[in-house]
Amino acid sequence: MTEEGGKNQDMKVMGILDIQNTPCARESILHGAGGSLVAGLVHFLATSRVKRSFDVGVAGFILTTLGSWFYCRYNNAKLRIQQRIIQDSIKNKVIYEGTNLDPTRKKTGDQ
Amino acid sequence: MAHPTQLGFQDAASPVMEELLHFHDHALMIVLLISTLVLYIITAMVSTKLTNKYILDSQEIEIVWTILPAVILVLIALPSLRILYLMDEINDPHLTIKAMGHQWYWSYEYTDYENLGFDSYMVPTQDLAPGQFRLLETDHRMIVPMESPVRVLVSAEDVLHSWAVPSLGVKMDAVPGRLNQTAFIASRPGVFYGQCSEICGANHSFMPIVVEAVPLEHFENWSSLMLEDA
Repeated sequence: MTEEGGKNQDMKVMGILDIQNTPCARESILHGAGGSLVAGLVHFLATSRVKRSFDVGVAGFILTTLGSWFYCRYNNAKLRIQQRIIQDSIKNKVIYEGTNLDPTRKKTGDQ
Repeated sequence: MAHPTQLGFQDAASPVMEELLHFHDHALMIVLLISTLVLYIITAMVSTKLTNKYILDSQEIEIVWTILPAVILVLIALPSLRILYLMDEINDPHLTIKAMGHQWYWSYEYTDYENLGFDSYMVPTQDLAPGQFRLLETDHRMIVPMESPVRVLVSAEDVLHSWAVPSLGVKMDAVPGRLNQTAFIASRPGVFYGQCSEICGANHSFMPIVVEAVPLEHFENWSSLMLEDA
């Protein structure tokens, strides 16, 4: 558990999702809120139907949050894989530098 | 280790646990959105003045609420199966340790090179040093080298037990007469706590597990010392 200086209250949406410490959660919720507002407002301005605009707003929230979440998590996963590859490569370079197994060493002949 | 009022997982100390954490976040977000939708629909149903008693069928919404849950389930199942197979990968362990469950302590055997074995009893509350954790500390810790695949063979000498360390993402039942295998890689040095996870008698809650991941040379020094003391 991380404590950065003073009190750091965990913000849990619906009591379960820790927005601050979950990657992409905060961005997705914010995008969802924005999308919900925009969708509901546009629908209301176009139709003047209040209740239906609320429905469109909620649907907008769900779809925008989901879309933002998947997009962000996909990129995050790619980044994590790259990070792991780089970490392993650095470790291999440190261990094998100067030896026959050095991955950066140019192969000469048929050895 | 766990802290008071904790609801979520402990910080991950192994690659498998990191993947499990990410999958949990993914599933939780989907659950959150579905819950939001259901809550909203309930609120709308309760507050509406409209009643329509004559709807017989509606093909469009039936198709939507058949296809959409199937899609959601696939989106959950794919990462889940990926992790399931990841956990079963053959990983060529550098070290094999046997963890034997007894009433009510664990014993560990490092028999790859020499015969090193010791028991691990819980430190009673009255014997704790300042800063130690109640009901979690043991007199001897299971020391493992960090960043090395470790295989743990789990069994029991008397009744069912279960060897579990949440931050490593490991839990394996200890069954008398059976050898169960699990493996982990400790990504970082540290001390990781767990507790027996299968009811095994009066002191089931008082046989914790402590795994300490250290750099390889510290592990070698420790094992030499333990062999000398034995």
